[in-house]
Amino acid sequence: MSIVEEVLEITLRSLAVSGTATLLASTWSVPLAYILAKPGRLRGLIASILEALVGIPTVLLGLALYMLFSRSGVLGFLHLLYTAKAIVVGQAILVTPLITVTACRVLKSARESFEEMALALGADDLQAMAIALRESLPGVASSVVMGFSRAVGELGIALMLGGNIRGATRVLTTAIALSVSMGEYDLALYLGAILVAISVLVSVTVKLLEEVQGP
Amino acid sequence: MIIELKGVWFAYPGSRRYALRGVHMRVEGGRVVMIEGPNGAGKTTLLKVLALLYRPVKGAVLVNGDDYWSLDPRTQLSLRRRVVYVHERPILLRGSVLENVALGLKLRGVPGAISGALETLRAMGLEYLAERKWRELSAGEAQLVSIARAVAVQPELLLLDEPMAHLDEDRRELLVEILRELKSRGVGIVVASHWPQDELLRIGIDRVVRVVGGEVRAL
Repeated sequence: MSIVEEVLEITLRSLAVSGTATLLASTWSVPLAYILAKPGRLRGLIASILEALVGIPTVLLGLALYMLFSRSGVLGFLHLLYTAKAIVVGQAILVTPLITVTACRVLKSARESFEEMALALGADDLQAMAIALRESLPGVASSVVMGFSRAVGELGIALMLGGNIRGATRVLTTAIALSVSMGEYDLALYLGAILVAISVLVSVTVKLLEEVQGP
Repeated sequence: MIIELKGVWFAYPGSRRYALRGVHMRVEGGRVVMIEGPNGAGKTTLLKVLALLYRPVKGAVLVNGDDYWSLDPRTQLSLRRRVVYVHERPILLRGSVLENVALGLKLRGVPGAISGALETLRAMGLEYLAERKWRELSAGEAQLVSIARAVAVQPELLLLDEPMAHLDEDRRELLVEILRELKSRGVGIVVASHWPQDELLRIGIDRVVRVVGGEVRAL
């Protein structure tokens, strides 16, 4: 396999793994965000805990999941360690607080404005909820995209749960780390440029989505 | 349609402070009530209780003599659809003015909602805005569009929160004309304003109440 083919393969794997993790996390994060967007003390407490977890070090989460997925761990029977699936699970857990917290802010604002406006105009509860969700869609999508950005750029989980196995679990961040450790700085920079390009693309997408969402 | 508040107390979830304190009030079709009072006095909260959006923590909201919050959800919805509240800050959906004005009609499943919305815009002299997108409107235009959206569903009671806030002199004049026309058709109108405005007096106000610290005083 040529170096270009290998870089392409690593890039595609990074996108696939982090994309899957982000989509997986969205399936529970967005409904959770909608629930937390309602007023209530318990909901406020849960939101505060999630906010604190947004910046959790990936190495710490990677270590915790490594212990769970290792052969002697509680979830060792799943044989997930050193597979791309393990990275997906780890990254999905990593981005859950970020997606939930940011989507919650959007949905809270939508509930307070669009949902109440719809009710004031004669909507039933379901119609009002549908309107609030529809109007907050660009903002929620922006939260999901931010989650993807966090996932694709993390190293700790991919390294500890994936093991950086060539052709199987090597992603952009682990490949960069390996290149640096082997003194292949040109390759590391090349891979880094791809990662930066992905991040820039993600940032532009978020910006566009936020413009659609409006003030 | 008559809505009566009987000793209504209201506090926002998580707050120990009452935004409304033992309010007694009555609004009905064909009458115009102006609610005045300083910022934070409870005018908006009062309007939202009258709009059947906020459930009081104490007291009763009677609609045509029935305790609204004891009724079944279906009856509540059909009564709530006869009252429309318009926010102080216009809240418009992404999309065109026409789609926004048609919203209330669509929610009620009215056939020909778009043509109904167009008719309302025409009647209010706002037809020229029909195809404009929500982002292309000035604050005053957005305010008039949100009022048009309320008018389109032909409410029996129209509750307006600071409706003149974003309007210039010409548009205030237009709104006064619209409200006078609605009053003449038997629509009950409640207008909240934090300062007395001459234009509002020209609608033909039947009663003025002052809200201070969550309490209502008749003037």
